Amino acid sequence: MADMTRRRVLQTAGALGVGAALAGCASEEDPPGGVPATGAPEETFTPPTRKLSGDLKILLWSHFVPSHDTWFDKFAADWGAKAGVKVAVDHVDQATIPTRIAAEISAGQGHDLVQFIATLSHLEQGVLDLKDVTDEAVKRWGTQLELCRKSSSNPKTGKFYAYSPGWVPDPGNFRTSLWREAGLPNGPTTWDELLAGGTEIKNKKNVQMGLGMSQEIDSNMVLRALMWSFGSSIQDANEKVVINSDQTVAAVEYMTKLFKQTMTNEVFSWNAASNNQGLVAGKLSYAVNSISAYRTAQGSSPDVADDIGFVPALRGPSGALAAQHVMYNWIVPKHAKNPDAAKEFLLHYTANYAAATYASKLYDFCAWDKLTPNLATWLGSDPFGSKPADKLKLLADATKWSTNIGHPGPSNGAEGEVFSTFIIPNMFARAARGEVTAKQAVLDAEAQITPIFAKWRSQGLVGG
Amino acid sequence: MSEGLPEGIDRHAPRSAAEGRHGSEGLPEGIDRHAPRSAAEGRHSSGGRKLADREGTLAWLFLMPSVVYIIALVGVPFVLAVGFAVSDVTAGDPSFDFVGLANFRAIFDDPVFWRSLGNTFLFTGVSMIFIVIFGKILANILVADFKGKWIVRFLVLLPWTTPATLGAIAWLWLLDSIFSPIDWVLRKLGFIDGNMYWLGEPQLAMGSVIAVHVWRLTPLAAVIMMAGLVAIPRDMDEAARVDGAGFWRRMFEVTIPLTLPVIAVSALFGAIFTFTDMAVVDVLTNGGPNNATQVLTSWAFFRGIDGGDVGQGAAVALFLFPLLLAAAIAILRAVRKLEVR
Repeated sequence: MADMTRRRVLQTAGALGVGAALAGCASEEDPPGGVPATGAPEETFTPPTRKLSGDLKILLWSHFVPSHDTWFDKFAADWGAKAGVKVAVDHVDQATIPTRIAAEISAGQGHDLVQFIATLSHLEQGVLDLKDVTDEAVKRWGTQLELCRKSSSNPKTGKFYAYSPGWVPDPGNFRTSLWREAGLPNGPTTWDELLAGGTEIKNKKNVQMGLGMSQEIDSNMVLRALMWSFGSSIQDANEKVVINSDQTVAAVEYMTKLFKQTMTNEVFSWNAASNNQGLVAGKLSYAVNSISAYRTAQGSSPDVADDIGFVPALRGPSGALAAQHVMYNWIVPKHAKNPDAAKEFLLHYTANYAAATYASKLYDFCAWDKLTPNLATWLGSDPFGSKPADKLKLLADATKWSTNIGHPGPSNGAEGEVFSTFIIPNMFARAARGEVTAKQAVLDAEAQITPIFAKWRSQGLVGG
Repeated sequence: MSEGLPEGIDRHAPRSAAEGRHGSEGLPEGIDRHAPRSAAEGRHSSGGRKLADREGTLAWLFLMPSVVYIIALVGVPFVLAVGFAVSDVTAGDPSFDFVGLANFRAIFDDPVFWRSLGNTFLFTGVSMIFIVIFGKILANILVADFKGKWIVRFLVLLPWTTPATLGAIAWLWLLDSIFSPIDWVLRKLGFIDGNMYWLGEPQLAMGSVIAVHVWRLTPLAAVIMMAGLVAIPRDMDEAARVDGAGFWRRMFEVTIPLTLPVIAVSALFGAIFTFTDMAVVDVLTNGGPNNATQVLTSWAFFRGIDGGDVGQGAAVALFLFPLLLAAAIAILRAVRKLEVR
């Protein structure tokens, strides 16, 4: 009897464990019902310009919208079958890709083609020049979107260290019910309106907004957007450090005020999942994020999803600009054994970018407008169930208010190192916490940024 | 017992050198059980005997896997780190150009490096104290006799057996700024009104990182100290009892002095594992807020891998070595002094 009881206990525990594991494996981004087959663009195949053979090993991120990966794996395999190449695709968490690439370049072996969601300018010396691929793409489909071009090429060396066929916009996400009561039913359009409306919502409803000032990617993006809108930047168009300016001090002072009136200390512990968690749980009045959180909410909290609205980059004293949320950089490391196949695959992938956009539920945008001719139609009447159906239509103009990391200069290696060592979020956070004045925070940031630029400049990889 | 065997063959004849050494008792006269059955076997048996008898050679043979392992996974990376630290190697360009001490000068000029260094000492020192105290308490519990001891031992060891990253992710949820269950409990008990923002306040963030490390490493310290406790002769404890010593007096005048070398070893392990860990910091805070929890290991990673400057990253990481070496020598000398005494 005792044995039976123990066995029953173990069986029950095992069943619960398996159930919990299955539940845990289900992604929060799993789309309700997946991507509808009808409406998906037809894929095309152009025979490669040269005879291909051998293996092609591809490494890319696990997409925030999993339906994209399902599509991509089949797409890559189908191309391989037609082109005579054996394709192997590995998906890994995006956070592990920089480490993986560094290890592979150091070892001199690994994948032939690697994709990352941010600029890989710091790897310029370890990768092939993809100018030929970019030139061919421009020849076939016209001018490449400038923000993608500036995020994949180095004007100092003339090298295309990456090929950038796509990107993802980073609009403002707001709760319409809250902002309606604050007198802004369509959401804020300026940083001043954000401060006024956010303050009212915080005071009346005790709902904070979530603009991170933490050592993570989203904080880096939104704080750069604020700087640009105030006429400030880390470097100028000639790659000289210009962060120490009255405009930067004004941006830091504004953020300090915005924090005190509309946010809580949670923004100092922000991580890449915080926007999504806060929005889906209905705990934030405003955040800056791609549409991935909204797509998640459509599946898990439809009421919250219906209440989420979007606004373009907020206008400040010097304009309205936002950073890209994701910048796709495809690189071919020097150790690649099949670079010809890698380059041909990139052109084939770009030619079918409309399918990628659709499979990602309108998350991925193409660097060539003409390759996604239906994008405006899809955004105007979302095939994935937005209410209202035209909720995402503002994204059709996203290229007008989006720019690259490093604006107004290129996304060079120095900008990348400043990004990955979180100097900008810490500059804002120190002032917001009252540890130093805005002016001192900017001076300290400049003291950290200047040697980074000097080092990259001494290696001949940064101009100025 | 030789039924069925051809005449002249003894099924008890030794098959190995070791077996052969046990003598020839019981064998018919004229039969030497050490005699080889073939020339080849003889050579093998003779060589095996020689090897088995050469304790020095055997010792090296048995040690070799560990030596190879340490050279390959500790020695070679250490030499590489020294090389990288005096080079301009980057993540994109592994070619080696000697730059002297330029990387060290650069990191010494970086305020984040000094903050990371200070944090590393604070993080390690405070963690080590708590790990030793809690380890001692746990060890005392683990050696006591009580019902359900096995389940307590299992639960106590669980944090150590759980992969560091998984444990840290669980703590990330527990310490979440909005949804922390710890905050929920504190609110229900009336201790707080809002949220604590465990990972958003510099002091709380450092406290959280230390707490998670203590939670993870205490079981290891407890197991090491448990081994020391069970090795104490029972009669010493009983003699102290007969002399009228109470629990605390026996603890501080008998148990702790006798287990001090073991406590020092557990402190050494705790310090080294804390000093060299970056998983907990990486998962919980990414070094934030505002580098308040940045430690040498995480800063080396951000500089060297994410930032792409392998030379500077290696220089930061290499700074761990003299400090670890000094700590190891200090504690081992203390242990030796205690043994001599």
